[in-house]
Amino acid sequence: MNTELTAAGKPFVHHHSAHCESGVTSALFREKGVEISEPMIFGIGSGIFFGHLFFVKMVGLPITTFRGLPGSVFKKAGKRLGAKFITKRFRNPQKGMDELRQLIKEGIIVGLTTNIYWLSYFPNRFRFQFNGHNLIALREIEGGFRVSDPVLEHPVDCVTDDLERARFAHGPLEPHGFMYYPASVPKNPDIKKACIKGMKDTCNMMLRIPIPIFGIRGMRFLAKRIIASPQKLGFDEACRHLANIVRMQEEIGTGGAGFRFMYAAFLQEAAELFGSDDLARLSQGMTAIGDIWREFAVVSARIVKQRGKSEDNFDKAGGLMLICADREEALFRELHITVRKLKA
Amino acid sequence: MKVNEVPQDITYYEGEKRACYALNDEGKYVIVPSSGWSSEEVVNGLAVAELAASLEETRKAVLSGLKSPLVYHMERRQMTPEILGKTAGIAAFRVKRHFKPGIFSKLKLSVLDRYAKALAVYGEELKTVPK
Repeated sequence: MNTELTAAGKPFVHHHSAHCESGVTSALFREKGVEISEPMIFGIGSGIFFGHLFFVKMVGLPITTFRGLPGSVFKKAGKRLGAKFITKRFRNPQKGMDELRQLIKEGIIVGLTTNIYWLSYFPNRFRFQFNGHNLIALREIEGGFRVSDPVLEHPVDCVTDDLERARFAHGPLEPHGFMYYPASVPKNPDIKKACIKGMKDTCNMMLRIPIPIFGIRGMRFLAKRIIASPQKLGFDEACRHLANIVRMQEEIGTGGAGFRFMYAAFLQEAAELFGSDDLARLSQGMTAIGDIWREFAVVSARIVKQRGKSEDNFDKAGGLMLICADREEALFRELHITVRKLKA
Repeated sequence: MKVNEVPQDITYYEGEKRACYALNDEGKYVIVPSSGWSSEEVVNGLAVAELAASLEETRKAVLSGLKSPLVYHMERRQMTPEILGKTAGIAAFRVKRHFKPGIFSKLKLSVLDRYAKALAVYGEELKTVPK
């Protein structure tokens, strides 16, 4: 945790977060004087999800997602907490950069959506073409900007050229220089009500989407595909697919186990807020599920590394995911019942 | 995951640390910075090695005159012809045409300039690959 000054001389406290979007949203709320943590934003914005988009390929591999669409946490959390945000997209990069400069000169901190590849302050291993990374611009410095990237431990400097490329990158989910900052934030938002809304929405997303590639159904769908993959794709190709799933689960700013631990942290905070033992128990349940996801990652990594020489195989990895699916289904069904008893 | 279970296997993020959520002794969730996890290194290493291998293959193809250097620089930026075309303002089918060395070598300076800007590769570098 460390403090920076904005252009207006107001102190800004940088919090190290697991996930970029929830981290940025929580920082924008904090700056307006509403003390709200990253897991809270993540839970209220219904961040947790599962989907296996076998037909959308990135570098030839299907996408597996453990969270909702990029941008949805920010949108949902803002709406449910009653905050108004000003959002802007640009056609002209020059205009987009000028407007950003103007805003931060006035001392406003601005959230930006960027392409992570062009942000050269990241370690090379993190850099790949993905247009959904969020960060906050704090103030202008010589030749660049001081930015607070919640995924990193400290605020960093970003070269102007990098930032412009990152904001106006092309490809899937083009950001078009997307920027956002709060216009008004209620002094005392009704967090309880927002929590209930978020939890209900999450239960619906996990349990009730009638398409078999999303939510709990999606997990079972993917688990079966994993088990069948060595016969269907051949061992090497199956390894590539499995490794990609684990990458999506652990690598991309998830706080561990594909956001499951962050959601457990949210349930824990909510349990304190409502004084509900049921929620506390569900939080523990979620932690246990997260541990199984971690085991799935360990087993998968062993399969990839030892090339089938160990006793771990695809049946075991797929089996672990099926266990996760069963337990998550039970958990979200219980959460759905619990949440109806809660009073805002 | 407990605090003492947060992986600190390797300094994998080039000095940076990643935030993980873990339970402390009182059973409360806290953020713990992690310096790297060996399981993650395995799966990510596979992806990184794959990229590097295909880039090396392209480099050799360019040196033997089968592909134009544009392919190499595009792959180095992890782009596809579609993304590069959109960034440079050149239709994707033209970009693919420019992958042929003969056609690439006859390109006008203005077209090369647009590629250079899109790829952040300047001057003579665009026309060559590392030996």
